[in-house]
Amino acid sequence: MSHKKVTMDLKEQKKIKRYFSLIFFLLIVGLAMWYVDFNFIELAKSIPVFLGFIFTDFLPPNFSDVKKYVGPVLDTIFVAVIATCVSSFLAMILAIFMASNTTPHPVFRIVCRGIVSFLRSIPFLLWAALLVVVFGVGVLPGLLGLILYGTAFLARVYAESVEEIGSECTEAIEAVGATYVHQLKHAIIPQFIPSFFSWTLFMFEINLRGSAILGIVGAGGIGSLIKGTMDLFQYSKTSTVIMILITMILVVEYITTRIRERII
Amino acid sequence: MAVSQHSVKGSRREKISIGHKRTQRQQRIFFFSVLILFIFSIVMIDIDGSAIAKGMERLPVILASLTQISFEHFLEMLAGMVTTVVIAFLAVLFSFVISFFLAFLVANNTTPNRYLGLGLRYAVMIIRSVPTPIWVLIAVASIGFGPMAGIIGLMFPTSSFLIKAFSAQIEEEGTEVIEAIRSVGGTWIHVVFKGLLPTILTGMIATLGVRFEIDVHESVVLGMVGAGGIGYLLQSYIQYYDFANLTLGILIVFVTMFLLELSLNRIRALLRTQSS
Repeated sequence: MSHKKVTMDLKEQKKIKRYFSLIFFLLIVGLAMWYVDFNFIELAKSIPVFLGFIFTDFLPPNFSDVKKYVGPVLDTIFVAVIATCVSSFLAMILAIFMASNTTPHPVFRIVCRGIVSFLRSIPFLLWAALLVVVFGVGVLPGLLGLILYGTAFLARVYAESVEEIGSECTEAIEAVGATYVHQLKHAIIPQFIPSFFSWTLFMFEINLRGSAILGIVGAGGIGSLIKGTMDLFQYSKTSTVIMILITMILVVEYITTRIRERII
Repeated sequence: MAVSQHSVKGSRREKISIGHKRTQRQQRIFFFSVLILFIFSIVMIDIDGSAIAKGMERLPVILASLTQISFEHFLEMLAGMVTTVVIAFLAVLFSFVISFFLAFLVANNTTPNRYLGLGLRYAVMIIRSVPTPIWVLIAVASIGFGPMAGIIGLMFPTSSFLIKAFSAQIEEEGTEVIEAIRSVGGTWIHVVFKGLLPTILTGMIATLGVRFEIDVHESVVLGMVGAGGIGYLLQSYIQYYDFANLTLGILIVFVTMFLLELSLNRIRALLRTQSS
């Protein structure tokens, strides 16, 4: 009898708890909406305006300047390639310092983790905008911004995959007299290769999207075309650029998927 | 598999290769072609040596000015940061409502009509391939500056991300539960709410958490193209070389992202214990 009562109480408690969390959630939603002066009528009005804008001002696309777009499009791809290669190399080194099972010294681990989480938490477009101040308008600040952010992102995910390997293998070959370098080369790297490929290819996709929008802050590539044509209200040209961008991203995604299937 | 990929190279004794030969060869080809592509890109890209030299000269000065910090605009920036987070929060919330239903229409095992599902899937793919800042640029151009442009600009890529993730989660459930409910006369609504939702809800909430983190990140950037929030302030500090305020702004973004990651990790751990 008493047993039954206890379970009833627990159930009731759970119910009350659920109600409270629901009310709490709704309160947060209400506060959030109040904070930015949000109302549904405005949203309901804005979405048709937005879609109408896309379909009337953007279509039909204007292909008259296509030849001028080739340079920036290639720049976008080159920047993504360089940024991915450089940041994957740097991130490998950082990751080995950062992972708990391969770090040469715990101090390295904490310092590297701190730097990486700082670099990663600032959006790369902000880094790029800051670097535009330093290096002037051009491809270079965008490239460096992508490298900064990409290195931090990859270092974190690489370190996580290295940590997942665990210490069985390293301990085993340490027991037969392997040095630190041997351990890395024969125990860590071979097991790490599949996740290395898959994360690096993923990073390439992110970098391609990133490199396409760098132009918005003045760092070259397709983004500068999009910003430039929109600032001049030549939306039909913008839509051509966006179409090129969509095609480029879909093609690259298709290629990376195929590569992933083959080499992992 | 992973261990066996490694072969004993360079040893003078007889070599016994235990790696998967084809995979290894393909990996080598891949490395080699990436190397060529990398060198080609470096040659082709137009990087001005003098710009690097000038930038390096300027770098110490700018770094030194970034060590200054000014709390003059602290409250303004804090308000901006809250706006940024709120924009991301509302965008994720509305996108969840939209994508929840659409995901069930897209997923192979629950779609009422195969062609409808396929059509939606392609639409999602195209929406997803346009980067978020471009959506926001379009939103700002059509409905003007402000948080509403940010919310609408974020909703499109967020919904498409969520639809893709949710439909994959739904497809993982397979067809057993659906057939069981159908066989006793359950409707589509029953299948969705009684059959699938209880098992996939935890996964959905985890996905929402991931996307919220991404959206806060994006929302900071969006301010820089005119959607309000802290990004707008940061962009104006950069434009006017106001580094003392910029430093504080960057720190505020860093601390917010850090706290967000910590709390989302807590929620994830809680969900894991609840579901197991």
